Amino acid sequence: MKRVITGNQAVAYGVILSRVDVVSAYPITPQTTIVEELSELIASGRLKTRFLKVESEHSAMAALIGASTGGVRCFTATSSHGLAYMHEMLHWASGARLPIVMVNVNRAIGPPWNIWSDQSDSLSQRDTGWIQLYCENNQEVLDTILQAYLIAEKVKLPVMVVLDAFVLSHTSEPVEVPSMEEVDSFLPPFCPDYPIDTQEPRAYSVITMPEHFMEFRYKIQKAMEEVPDVSKKVDDEFRSRFGRGYGAIERYGKEEAEVLLMTSGTVTSTSRTVIRKLNEDGLSVAGLKIKRFRPFPSEEIYGAIKGAKKLAVIDRNLSAGVGGIFAQELRASLYPREERPQVFGFVSGLGGRDITPELIEEAIQYTVEHPQPEGDILWLGLKK
Amino acid sequence: MSKQFQFKGASEMPMISVSLGDMDWNKTGTWRTQRPFYEDKTPPCSAACPAGNDIVAFIQKIAQEDFEGAWNIIKEENPFPGVCGRVCFHPCESKCNRGSFDEPVVIHALERFVADFASRLNKKTGKAGEKRKEKVAIIGSGPAGMSCAFHLARLHYDVTVFESFSLAGGMLRMGIPSYRLPKNILDRELSNIEALGVEIRTGVSLGEDLRLEDLKDYQAVFISTGAHRSRGLHIPGEKEKGVLSGLDLLKKINLSKRVKLGDKIGVIGGGNTAIDVARSVIRLGKKATILYRRSREEMPAFEDEIVEALEEGVKIRYLVNPIRLGQKDGLKRLECLRMELGEKDESGRRRPVPIPNSNLFIDADHVIIAAGEEIEASFLPEGLEKKEGIVLTQRDGSTGIKGVFAGGDLTSNQRTVAHAIGSGKKAAMAIDAFLKGKDAEGMIIQHLIGEGPSLSIFGYLRPGERLRNPHVVTFEELNMDYFEPAKRQQESKSAVKERIKGFKEVSSTLSEGVALDEAERCFSCGTCNECENCYVFCPDGSILKREELFSHQVDYDYCKGCGICFTECPRGAISLKEEAK
Repeated sequence: MKRVITGNQAVAYGVILSRVDVVSAYPITPQTTIVEELSELIASGRLKTRFLKVESEHSAMAALIGASTGGVRCFTATSSHGLAYMHEMLHWASGARLPIVMVNVNRAIGPPWNIWSDQSDSLSQRDTGWIQLYCENNQEVLDTILQAYLIAEKVKLPVMVVLDAFVLSHTSEPVEVPSMEEVDSFLPPFCPDYPIDTQEPRAYSVITMPEHFMEFRYKIQKAMEEVPDVSKKVDDEFRSRFGRGYGAIERYGKEEAEVLLMTSGTVTSTSRTVIRKLNEDGLSVAGLKIKRFRPFPSEEIYGAIKGAKKLAVIDRNLSAGVGGIFAQELRASLYPREERPQVFGFVSGLGGRDITPELIEEAIQYTVEHPQPEGDILWLGLKK
Repeated sequence: MSKQFQFKGASEMPMISVSLGDMDWNKTGTWRTQRPFYEDKTPPCSAACPAGNDIVAFIQKIAQEDFEGAWNIIKEENPFPGVCGRVCFHPCESKCNRGSFDEPVVIHALERFVADFASRLNKKTGKAGEKRKEKVAIIGSGPAGMSCAFHLARLHYDVTVFESFSLAGGMLRMGIPSYRLPKNILDRELSNIEALGVEIRTGVSLGEDLRLEDLKDYQAVFISTGAHRSRGLHIPGEKEKGVLSGLDLLKKINLSKRVKLGDKIGVIGGGNTAIDVARSVIRLGKKATILYRRSREEMPAFEDEIVEALEEGVKIRYLVNPIRLGQKDGLKRLECLRMELGEKDESGRRRPVPIPNSNLFIDADHVIIAAGEEIEASFLPEGLEKKEGIVLTQRDGSTGIKGVFAGGDLTSNQRTVAHAIGSGKKAAMAIDAFLKGKDAEGMIIQHLIGEGPSLSIFGYLRPGERLRNPHVVTFEELNMDYFEPAKRQQESKSAVKERIKGFKEVSSTLSEGVALDEAERCFSCGTCNECENCYVFCPDGSILKREELFSHQVDYDYCKGCGICFTECPRGAISLKEEAK
């Protein structure tokens, strides 16, 4: 059934359809309406899910770690400072191989105080062992939640589903909401590998000496390496059932283009219009949408950029001292390759400033006109 | 037992670091530097109860809907729960820690509820079993004498109580109007004491019918003859016709004798007797005006009593002091001086100071003097030392005469029912120690509640059963995270127009539902009530549940001594001490 819903409502629908057993969350703008929607449904008795009230995001994740260890499907959502506060527990969730799914609504981290879209919150958690999936629109948000549980429970790693503050979280779009039966046949119940059994007590996450610790980390890396294959299969299966799929990346625009524009989140939507227009004007340019940030889709990207001479990246984030994080990751992944297009690392739209079609066109024109970038960071729309 | 795994590599290892068996072998108790342990402490209510009631314990029983159990607990210390639940001025409630949170638990009403519940079941105290050969005589059947008789009977003594009036009960019967304490309640509790084998001989007066020498067959004597003589005002005209003592009037009413009174009654005094007299007068269809020389703030009568008196139409004139009683046109004419309040006196109240030339006159058909009571010393045996209006005793209640003990209003200026009950109990314990040749004083110190002077006989009768640290739990030691404000329940009172029609009891017993709600309000200070907070919070699963009462136990094999149980215990029933090195 098609419904006109916000990104946050799409999250809630995804959670309901995934038959999540336990939700624990602490409110923070712009995530709040996700939890409101779910908690109201739970309180009214229409949703048979346990909602655990907590005093912080750290506790929310800790509660889910307990619940997930107990063998049930879990969900939480947060943003910005809330995600930062969870940091320690994010490592624990992945280290304990718990398939928790969390939504992070991208919001800048203060100070200065700011509640608008910015990827710095989720990207500063890139090394916590979580799979990260970025969404372009509300339909993709709902569909990604459903896929996320299947991926997480197959590879035993937690998944962070990321969407832009307000642009998606609080903006309504038509979304096809699948039926419970359809989702049930796609997403089987969660079966934990080491369920808690009071008859056979165990100690979990016990101290591990140097002689074994590294091997557990190795296993996490191995699981991450399975993700491209597993998520492709999940996406294919999803496409066959629901007629929609997303891939880890998506290339669009002119096929033989020498200039590529790499974006993530809702900037991609704007870029699609700009590139269509430039293609019509005869400019040889194409777009590259990055959906999966962790594990970084190096192979997929390398396969999609064959022939390109220049890669422009628009980062709505800043790792001060280096530059945009997507550009940084891209450069690192290209270094061992034979073909290494020039990477133009644009930083734009921090703290929710609009990344307009004009700015995107400016970035593309700059890339076309310059043989190489004039620095590691190219500030786009900055008032100097 | 632990088994060390040696893996060749990742392929042999499980996905996560998880033990393949339980971790019982790992006795983490060895890491402990501090040791939590269950230790009941003294709740402030019990420490403040002159009768030494185990209040928290009986309220816990109410909360468990075991009303008979609650009754059994009260009867361990006090044979008069029905009386105390009605007329005690409940110092327990003023000390109740709940008062620092919202309002004190309505302890007196819960005690009354238990007593009345037991009476509905027709619960009686059973016979005390085979008697010892020693006999004890008790002179005076008021709360002190009967409490002493009750406990001595439980200690298997052959007890005879001598009472000068025709009915037992002392001041409970003579001094308290039945709208506050119905006679059937008193009769029931007295008959419960008799049921233990106590003999009461009425109509026998000390000094007239009975002298100490007549009691040679008795190995110990307890004198509790009370304070029955009304204190005079020492003003001209107070011995004239038309002037009565408050206590005499109350006795007449209580013994259902005919009382002839005019319409306008003046009552002099500000204590409970004055209020009792005025309210009784109202019930006889007359008008009552209380004259008190200080202001309302200094009135020694209980606040609730004053409020009820005013509701019922009693008038109170403050800051007036009678100086002469005369006659005019067939009426008594009271000449008074207006007073003002000066500096504080030794009682801590502001001293009334006469205003010169402020004389005023108040006319009444009868004037009733209720300015306090004093002991009648004339009939007391020689050899009893007296000072400042009371008979002097040692800490254990013994007097200068060997084997003679004294208590109640006779030996104290704290003249309340609860103090009398407490002093009777103390004497019973002391007499037992005396007759067995034990150190009574030391024994009494051993059984003080908190720092005393309240005393528990339970520990004396059953050593080791109800051990409590004498430390009195303070509000700060409780964990308020686990309590929510809840309104204090009150007994309902009948309408004023019903009340003044006669001597029917004003307040009613709590209903079962209300009593249960009220019992839930009790913090249970210093006393484990198995709320299981420790069990829930212990991160090491080191709180063991057992089947018996006081079921929790720390599993020291695994307790790491983190102290969370100690912190999260809402009622201070867990203590923490440094682990012996």
